[in-house]
Amino acid sequence: MVRFKSRYLLCEVCVPDRSSLQLLEDRSIYNTLRAAVKRAHGDYGSALFNIGVIVKYLNAHTGVVLIRSRKKHYRLIWSALSFITCLENRGQMVQCFLNCLHVGGTIRTCQKFLVKYNRQQLHRMLPDCKTDAEKQEVRKAILSCSLSNVRDEEADEDGSDDDDDDDKET
Amino acid sequence: MEEPSKFEQYVYKNASVYHYMKISLVLENGNKYITDAQFKQLIICGLKDLYGEVGASFPFDLLKFDQNKLTGILRVYNSGLVKLWSALTLLGTYQNEACAFRVMQVSPFLLALSGNSRELQFGDQLTL
Repeated sequence: MVRFKSRYLLCEVCVPDRSSLQLLEDRSIYNTLRAAVKRAHGDYGSALFNIGVIVKYLNAHTGVVLIRSRKKHYRLIWSALSFITCLENRGQMVQCFLNCLHVGGTIRTCQKFLVKYNRQQLHRMLPDCKTDAEKQEVRKAILSCSLSNVRDEEADEDGSDDDDDDDKET
Repeated sequence: MEEPSKFEQYVYKNASVYHYMKISLVLENGNKYITDAQFKQLIICGLKDLYGEVGASFPFDLLKFDQNKLTGILRVYNSGLVKLWSALTLLGTYQNEACAFRVMQVSPFLLALSGNSRELQFGDQLTL
């Protein structure tokens, strides 16, 4: 009846070469986002960032980030995402941009969207496959995309099963 | 019997797109020489500190500026009034010197700023 409402921003980190994504940490995304919000929205923005925002989930293989913020201020945080040009990762600067895929009210809705999105990405990958073995693997991955696989792993906070399937995503 | 006189009343909720503010800058060590461009730049700096790049880019105009008394009239869109006013309140320093902005009048109509009942001077006719 009365509860804290939040908005989850499902974003994707787009980098020119995938190998630089490997060692990404949620702390570096948090710090970069905080600096971007401070530059774009000043003291007011950094105060709002401090109370409500946290990076809930990060998948270094696919570059999927889940950022939680309060319902009233998610647009402010969303607008600051477009000002991020590079991430600092263990002393190295990685050129990137954050692309927001979906805004959801709960983690489960974001997961459902991610399952559908990954299935679409795999479909798009299928014509690009060179060998038959690759095609078989992609088809198997598409069939195994489902939310029920996710529920078992929810406790581990490892993210959905589907994220591991598109490791050949270009 | 004569007809009753017609009476029509127009009520506007948001009559004006702009809000006008009459403000004055008070410096700790007396008046300095400040041009109108520097005055506007000071306000933009205040907006930038509090609301960042997005806040500092909000358009407002300095319509009149009196260099001797350091007073001016600002015009801002309705959506930016709260941001501008709060930035003026929290602005504390000008070139490492303490200063303060006093907001004397705020009105959605420019004509209202021409008269101020606080500064009204009664003429001789009112005394008997």
